[in-house]
Amino acid sequence: MGVAHSHSASEEVRELEGKTGFSSYQIEQLHRRFKQLSGDQPTIRKESFNNVPDLELNPIRSRIVRAFFDHRNLRKGPSGLAEEINFEDFLTIMSYFRPIDTTMGEEQVAQSRKEKLRFLFHMYDADSDGRITLEEYRNVVEDLLSGNPHIEKESAGSIAKGAMMEAASVCLGQMEPDQVYEGITFEDFLKILKGIDIESKMHICFLNMETMALCH
Amino acid sequence: MEGAELAGKILSTWLTLVLGFILLPSVFGVSLGISEIYMKILVKTLEWATIRIEKGAPKESTLKNSASVGIIQRDESPMEKGLSGLRGRDFELSDVFYFSKKGLEAIVEDEVTQRFSSEELVSWNLLTRTNVNFHYISLRLTMVWVLGVIVRYCVLLPLRVTLAFIGISLLVIGTTLVGQLPDSSLKNWLSELVHLTCCRICVRALSGTIHYHNKQYRPQKGGICVANHTSPIDVLILTTDGCYAMVGQVHGGLMGIIQRAMVKACPHVWFERSEMKDRHLVTKRLKEHIADKKKLPILIFPEGTCINNTSVMMFKKGSFEIGGTIHPVAIKYNPQFGDAFWNSSKYNMVSYLLRMMTSWAIVCDVWYMPPMTREEGEDAVQFANRVKSAIAIQGGLTELPWDGGLKRAKVKDTFKEEQQKNYSKMIVGNGSLN
Repeated sequence: MGVAHSHSASEEVRELEGKTGFSSYQIEQLHRRFKQLSGDQPTIRKESFNNVPDLELNPIRSRIVRAFFDHRNLRKGPSGLAEEINFEDFLTIMSYFRPIDTTMGEEQVAQSRKEKLRFLFHMYDADSDGRITLEEYRNVVEDLLSGNPHIEKESAGSIAKGAMMEAASVCLGQMEPDQVYEGITFEDFLKILKGIDIESKMHICFLNMETMALCH
Repeated sequence: MEGAELAGKILSTWLTLVLGFILLPSVFGVSLGISEIYMKILVKTLEWATIRIEKGAPKESTLKNSASVGIIQRDESPMEKGLSGLRGRDFELSDVFYFSKKGLEAIVEDEVTQRFSSEELVSWNLLTRTNVNFHYISLRLTMVWVLGVIVRYCVLLPLRVTLAFIGISLLVIGTTLVGQLPDSSLKNWLSELVHLTCCRICVRALSGTIHYHNKQYRPQKGGICVANHTSPIDVLILTTDGCYAMVGQVHGGLMGIIQRAMVKACPHVWFERSEMKDRHLVTKRLKEHIADKKKLPILIFPEGTCINNTSVMMFKKGSFEIGGTIHPVAIKYNPQFGDAFWNSSKYNMVSYLLRMMTSWAIVCDVWYMPPMTREEGEDAVQFANRVKSAIAIQGGLTELPWDGGLKRAKVKDTFKEEQQKNYSKMIVGNGSLN
C-alpha cells in the first residue's frame, strides 16, 4: 500500500475485509500481486495474465482467465464479460477459493459450497443461458484433452455424450425415447456433484501472518 | 587564482590518498583493513536501525514475514492424486476443479516472474530504493537515513567513480602494453598481475567484500568454470581471485575497447554476433581452447540471463556438451548491503552501475566446488541439471526447472502439451476408451 499508510487506505482495507473475508495481511499480499500483474495500473485486462508461465501449462487457461472477467462471477450482471477489472473484483474472484470456514453455521457452509459450485458452473456454461448443453460440455472436454495427439476428435464427443446421458439419468430418472435432454441446469449440477468433497478440491491455502496457514 | 590553487591542492591530496591507501595495496593483494572497519560500522548501524524499526512498527505490520513467506501454500500433490486417484475412469465434471485451482494458484503466485525482480528485504537497510513497505518511524531514524544519503552520494560515489575510472583505464593500458611483449611466461605473469590489480581496484570501487570458500577447488587451467548469474559484476567477483578466459559477444563502445585490450594480453574467446548463432562453431572454438592445457579456464554462465539470486534456473546444455572438467561455483550476494541484481528491462547499464556505486556495499560469498565430469550414460541435459542442483544446494538457492529466457519469451508449446497429454492419458488409458 505504499510508504505512508494513509487513513483512507486502511479504511478501504477494512471494507474489503468485510466484503471478501480476507484478512488485512492477505489483502496486502494480494494487492502486491495485483500490482505486479497489472504493471502498477489500477486495473488488469486479459492480456495481463499472459506473463504467468505456470498458467500457460494449464489446459483450461483461457476459461480461467475468462472467469475473472465474467459478470456473473463479479456479481455485476447475468451475462457478459468485463473489459478490465480492478482490485476489488480481483479479490471477489479470489474469495471463491477461500477455504470454507467450518465454524460457520450449517447454512453458511452450504451457501459457500453453492457459491463455489456456481463458479464452476459458469466455467462450463459459456453462453450464460443457465444450462450446460452437450456442445458446451464437449468443448470443455476437448480443451482438457487437446494436447494428446493419440485421441481423435470424436473421442471428446463420445465422452461428452456419455456424461450427458449419465447426468440426464440422475436428474430426470428414466427418459422417454423421444424426450430431449436440453442441458444441465444449475440444480442438476448440484445434484450430480452432491457427493464431491468441495472443501478439499477447490480451495487455496491463503497464508496468514499469525497462524502460518489458514487451513488444515 | 586562489580558488584554482586550492582546488588543485585538494585534488592532489585526494589522489595521493587514493593512491596510497587503495591502489598500491591492490597491486600486492594486500588489504589495509579500511573496508573492514567500514563494514563493521555499517553492520552496527543497520542493526540499530532494524531494532528501531521493530520497536516502532505497529502491531499489524508485515515486516517479519513479507519476504520469506509467500501468499499461498501450494498444494504440491500430483495430478493423479488431485483428480481423486482413480485410474482409467470416465471424465468427471469435477476434474475442472483441479485445473481451476491450479490455475488460480499460478495467478496468485507464480515462481518464475518473481525471480526477475529484486529480492525483498526482511528489514529496511536505509536505502530509499528498498523502501517498499516501511513507514516513518522516528526522527532519529530519518536523520540516520539522511546522513546515509549524504555519505553515499557525496563521499562514496565520487571515490568509487574515481576508482572505477582508474581501474578501467589501467586495465586497458596495462593489457595493451603487456600485449606488445612476445609470448612467454613473463607475459603470462604480467598479464595476470594486470588483470588481478585492476579487478581488485574495481571491486573496491564498489566497496565489495567477498568471502571465498574452499579455495582448494579453484578452477584449474583447461577446465570450464560454471556459475549462477546475477549481474555483470559476477565476472568481476570471480576474476579477482583468479584469471579466467571469458566467453562472450563482441560489443561496441567501452565494453568493446576493454574486450579488445584484454584479448591482447591473454586469449579470451570473443565471438562476433553472427558467429554466436552457429552452435557448432562456438562449441568447436571452446573445445580448442580447453584442449590447450596452458590456457586459462573458461568462464561461462549457463543460465544465459540475470536472475535475482534467490534461485537457479535452467542451465542451458550447450556449455555441458563441450566436454572437459566442469568446476561449479556458487555466488550468493547478501541483499542487506546492496542489491546486485541487474534488472535489464528496468535499468540500463549506466544506471545500474550508478545504483551499485550508491549502495552501501556489495557483500557476497563465493563457494568453489569440487570438479564434476559427465558420467557414462548421462546426456548433456542431465549433467547440466546435476551441476545446477549442486550449485543451488551450496548457495542456498532454490532450484527451478524453468528457462531464464522466459524473462522475454513465452513458454514453449511443447511444455504445454506435456501437461495435456498426461491428463488425457489418465482419462482414456493410452488410447482406448471405455
